Amino acid sequence: MTKATLDKLTELLGATNVLHEKEDLLTFSYDATPEIQHLPDVVVFPTTSEQVIDLVKFAREEGLPIVPRGSGTGLSGGSIAVNGGMVLCLTRLNKILEIDEENLTGTVQAGVITLDFFNAASAKGLFYPPDPGSQKISTLGGNIAEDAGGLRGLKYGVTRDYVMALSGVLGDGMPFTTGGKSVKDVAGYALKDLLVGSEGTLGIITEATFKLVPPPQAKRTLLAYFKDIRTAGEAVASIIAAKIIPSTLEIMDNATIKCVEDYANIGLPCEMAALLLIEVDGHPAVGAEEADGVKAVLHKVGAAEVHEAADADHAAQLAAARRTALSALARVSPTTLLEDATVPRSRLADTFDEIERLGEKFNLKVGTFGHAGDGNLHPTVLCDERNRDEMERAHAFYHELYEKVLAWGGTVSGEHGIGLAKRDYLEKQIGVGGVNIMRRIKHSFDPGGLLNPGKIFNDATEGSRD
Amino acid sequence: MTEKQCLGKFPLADEPNYEGMLQCMRCGFCLPSCPTYVLTGRERSSPRGRVALAKAVADEQLDFTAALKEEAYFCLDCRACSTACPSGVHAGQVMEACRNQAHEAFPLTGAVRKFREFILQRMLPSPGLLETSMLPARLYQKLGIQWLVRHSHILKLGPEWVDKAEGMIPALHPPLRPQLPDVVPAVGEQRGRVAFFLGCIMTLMYPEVSRQTVKVLTHQGFEVLTPKEQKCCGAPHLNEGDRSTTRSLAQHNLDLFMALDVNAIVTDCAGCGAALKDYEELLEESGDQERLTIFRSKIKDISEFLAEQGLRTEGLKPIEKTVTYHEPCHLCHAQGVSRQPRDLIKAIPGIDYRELNEASWCCGSAATFSLKYTDESQQILDRKLENVQATGAELLVTANPGCHLQLAWGLKQAGLPQEVVHITELLGMATPG
Repeated sequence: MTKATLDKLTELLGATNVLHEKEDLLTFSYDATPEIQHLPDVVVFPTTSEQVIDLVKFAREEGLPIVPRGSGTGLSGGSIAVNGGMVLCLTRLNKILEIDEENLTGTVQAGVITLDFFNAASAKGLFYPPDPGSQKISTLGGNIAEDAGGLRGLKYGVTRDYVMALSGVLGDGMPFTTGGKSVKDVAGYALKDLLVGSEGTLGIITEATFKLVPPPQAKRTLLAYFKDIRTAGEAVASIIAAKIIPSTLEIMDNATIKCVEDYANIGLPCEMAALLLIEVDGHPAVGAEEADGVKAVLHKVGAAEVHEAADADHAAQLAAARRTALSALARVSPTTLLEDATVPRSRLADTFDEIERLGEKFNLKVGTFGHAGDGNLHPTVLCDERNRDEMERAHAFYHELYEKVLAWGGTVSGEHGIGLAKRDYLEKQIGVGGVNIMRRIKHSFDPGGLLNPGKIFNDATEGSRD
Repeated sequence: MTEKQCLGKFPLADEPNYEGMLQCMRCGFCLPSCPTYVLTGRERSSPRGRVALAKAVADEQLDFTAALKEEAYFCLDCRACSTACPSGVHAGQVMEACRNQAHEAFPLTGAVRKFREFILQRMLPSPGLLETSMLPARLYQKLGIQWLVRHSHILKLGPEWVDKAEGMIPALHPPLRPQLPDVVPAVGEQRGRVAFFLGCIMTLMYPEVSRQTVKVLTHQGFEVLTPKEQKCCGAPHLNEGDRSTTRSLAQHNLDLFMALDVNAIVTDCAGCGAALKDYEELLEESGDQERLTIFRSKIKDISEFLAEQGLRTEGLKPIEKTVTYHEPCHLCHAQGVSRQPRDLIKAIPGIDYRELNEASWCCGSAATFSLKYTDESQQILDRKLENVQATGAELLVTANPGCHLQLAWGLKQAGLPQEVVHITELLGMATPG
């Protein structure tokens, strides 16, 4: 990066909002995805939406790729500057602009932390349900770009289900606004739905309006322990088949239980093969009925033990502990290679069998946890990136697992996105035609190909067969 | 450089543990817990970023640069990230090791070097010398404040540090160490015998607090042994990146205290307690693991010890006050002692306890941080004071001299009415006699 270029950026944003020293570039070369790292040329922090427009124009003139980034907690490499360029970090665009109690909406800048927004809504007696594991530090802009899920997805849906309006900047520097506070809106294509989950490849989101809902009046939290994991999988399918939709239905296998207990010390059963964390909520009467229904199913399928959280604090502790699962697994091994396979729920027990079979076949240590109620599992290979042979076996494990998952009508990513990590699998899932439609969409939003190049699919020129 | 093989581009052996750095899977859970990240929003000033920098040096992707040295010292070493990290990474310890490396990479020269060596290697390890200089205030004068001011830019001290340092020093009493009898008998039915580790700052700046600690221990039924030959725990040396002096102090204290027949080694300084508990790791290479493990298991913070033994509440005098509690980082994060002090406070009759919002957030003192980074320290302190004010409590209880100095100074500057007391002062007030 030349001094003249840096000077221009500094003039635009002020010196504290432009980072270019080696140590800064290095600490913006990663997110939470293992094995992938690349230095950007510069890191910029816009503090107004107007600055974002200026930055896109500037990048176009300089031919710099733009990589939007929040707090860098992504799990598919979405915010890594694989082609260098400018990391555009939105964490300083972080104002909660409005909680609208008449329309039950909240409007924020993209860099607002997920949990801060949840708390701001709570303070007004409203509820923002999406709660990704990293909610204490993840940004809402990042949540939108990756369409983040969370523990409450089963009943309440994911980030997409709450986005009502978006504003931002397209790849050619043109500002856009799509959607609004109207509950219904069929005026033209649903552009906001294209932008949600677009992983920073279609536009830079600077502001968003979310739907908020009234919070549930009561909650009941259950813990069920199992002596084998297949039974736990069957329990999940049976709860769903009994037409009960808990707000949370999470699973942890034995390896995960041990690691989480080691960190959190809350009395989880380290000798059990699996546990389910189940939360039902709503009107107290409905909650009680559903809790009884879930207990009946659990006993019928043969859960070893069923417990209920003592109080709200205990329930919150359990949910917080579950959120640490992935990071806690890193206690065991230097590298945690995690995946995000999602299957129709009737296939859950089969998926556990398959994970176990493949773990043995490739001689790997695997810890599995995830949003069982969504059919969304995070089998995590506990490995060491210095061991090339082990890493190859780990990738072979996922390769075979994905073939099965796709054959069962599942998806290679439930909530982490394709990014860099799963590019090769996208075409297997949606076909060449599907990828080509996506490329055309990308081209119409970002004709210059500057926005997060190389993510989701290889860059446009390579596959533009139209 | 000698023939010794160093890890990656680290200039010195005794590098941060590589496996420990590799343990970081970069989830970012530490970011919201880190006061310097929250202050700057700069990834390199976060635990995840600092570990990434150290790992890059180990992986030969980065030289041991001035920026890494800066980050090593900008880190508060508050260990809040250790509490937040599900993977078990200790970024604070990684930075401590980097401070040591920094002195090899960027050696001090001339008078500054001599001054640092004098303080760390002569003054602090020698209780006698420390006490003949009598009072830190006089120490400053003796060494010449003018000299320090002239050199303060080299020492990287903030512009207002002299005023602040002077303003922080409490009303001073004679040091406690020479006054304390070697053995103080238990009062009432004896429940055990403990050794008392009396920290340097406690004996010099808060002798009357530690006097209360001994009083409380004896009234709780413990005979208290205070060996006069004890030396500094080594925390200041570790903090300033002098690991070799730390090790020799550790060895001295280990041998001294292991020779005593006691149930526990109790301290009322959270910083000392954390350092003493770290001897096990620090002296790992010296061999005798079993002895280290026994020593480790005997080290107890006063709150931890009393909560474990069960507080004898009969005869305690009521204290009709509203009270809140600030958690010293080196107690809650470094030692995991969090619930115990609150339980003790609540056990005193008459107390109206009010929980402090963000009680475990650093107060910005952090050894010499508050003098080196006066602005940043002030911002961290302001956040704390706001929370203290919101409780409306009359007393602010804490359990570490560094926090005590910073909080008392901050409250005074801000014109807030709260009085800062150490938890043993509070227990002392309730204890008859």
